[in-house]
Amino acid sequence: MARNRQDEDYVTPLRRLLASVVVLCLIAVFLVWRIDSPRVERFRAQVVDKVVPSFDWAMAPVTATVNILRDFQSYRRIHEQNQELRRELQQMKAWKEAALQLEQENARLLDLNNVRLDPRLTYITGVVMADSGSPFRQSVLLNVGARDGIVDGWAAMDGIGLVGRISGVGSATSRVVLLTDTSSRVPVTVQPSGQRAMLMGDNTVAPHIDFLEDKDLVRPGDRVISSGDGGVFPAGLLVGQVAEDPGGRLRVRLAADYERLEFLRVLRHLGSDPLRDPGGIVGPLLPGHMAEEAATTAETPDG
Amino acid sequence: MAEVTITPASRLWVMRGVFVLLALVVMLFNLMPLETLPRKWAGPDLILVLCIGFTLRRPDYAPPVLVGLVVFMADLLFQRPPGLMAAVTVLACEYLKYRARGLRELPFPVEWLAAGLGVVLVLGGFRLSLSLFLIDTPPLTMTAIRALATILAYPVVVLLLQALLGLRKQGPGDTDSLEFR
Repeated sequence: MARNRQDEDYVTPLRRLLASVVVLCLIAVFLVWRIDSPRVERFRAQVVDKVVPSFDWAMAPVTATVNILRDFQSYRRIHEQNQELRRELQQMKAWKEAALQLEQENARLLDLNNVRLDPRLTYITGVVMADSGSPFRQSVLLNVGARDGIVDGWAAMDGIGLVGRISGVGSATSRVVLLTDTSSRVPVTVQPSGQRAMLMGDNTVAPHIDFLEDKDLVRPGDRVISSGDGGVFPAGLLVGQVAEDPGGRLRVRLAADYERLEFLRVLRHLGSDPLRDPGGIVGPLLPGHMAEEAATTAETPDG
Repeated sequence: MAEVTITPASRLWVMRGVFVLLALVVMLFNLMPLETLPRKWAGPDLILVLCIGFTLRRPDYAPPVLVGLVVFMADLLFQRPPGLMAAVTVLACEYLKYRARGLRELPFPVEWLAAGLGVVLVLGGFRLSLSLFLIDTPPLTMTAIRALATILAYPVVVLLLQALLGLRKQGPGDTDSLEFR
């Protein structure tokens, strides 16, 4: 025991030095991240890009197994579900009829107005590989990345509604920060009143609405769509419906099915062209203006 | 176990490998896209349990460099501020190791208490430094639930490790660890 203690005394200072070097290195990384976040985040994206796809061989089968087990649990109430589905199908038939009529009407109206839908709004579909792995962050990792042309800031949707935006792109993976994440902020419009607002994620199922111009014009049940303000997001993507929580705060019940995010569409958005100059006066130029104009055009090559 | 055939030195490295492997498996399970809805509760931080369990029982299997690397990897993968959690964990583990010299022959409840202290130190220190550096912190209740879950998970994990890997506390008669520390 005495020898043991002696050994420890001999070895400990060296180990303590090693430990402090490790701690200092880690703190240095943290400080660099705090000061120059984008660089370190790019490094993080690269690491994730290398590591997570190599986990995939193990992750995919286990995830599938767990999901099968979950589905199996739901077989216990299959009869109940069947009844429910029949009822829903009945309702859906009515809706389908309505939708067909509306589609025809819409087509007629579009034709009438000669409307041109945005032809550049195409999408890339990716598979969800992993989630954030922590209960404090809400994001998922897709198996499409820079090599598929994904760019930071693009919108990700499931079949129905907006899910989140791309934040962090590796060569083969990209991270989607979900609308429910605490750092998610998306400009939205509430229809039919047309009120502009921000959708703020707060780590709950239903993110809340903030910076609303006039709260009285908005009612629970109103549709919420992305507004495209700021030019990052395409406008007019369905987000969800307004709902009021017990505290009287307005929240959005999201249209996307967050329970099962499997395939996500990433919308290619090449930015909308801004209008640069206000329209000039249309008409013949006045003689004085003409002279000025000639002077400026003559000057520009030098300047 | 097969201690008879494995020399102590290779056993040391095998156990270090096992530590890293276990941490990777935990990360893999955490990353699986099973739960994409935000939750009201938080499960235990199993990587922290592994680090503290190994540190309290066999510090030579989880040297600070390894602990730092493992938690740093988790930081990167779990979208936490990189390096902070790792630094706090290494510090707490060193502190526990320093204290654990005294409690080598003490019963399990005392070890559990020390582990609980470690968990509170790590999660509390992490939260405190986040607010010091003006990074937005998760709700306090979530952190509290996480700390509680981690402390409750400690005995289960450590008993499993003891049963499967023979991870016992270092006694004074353990010769294999003496020469290769």
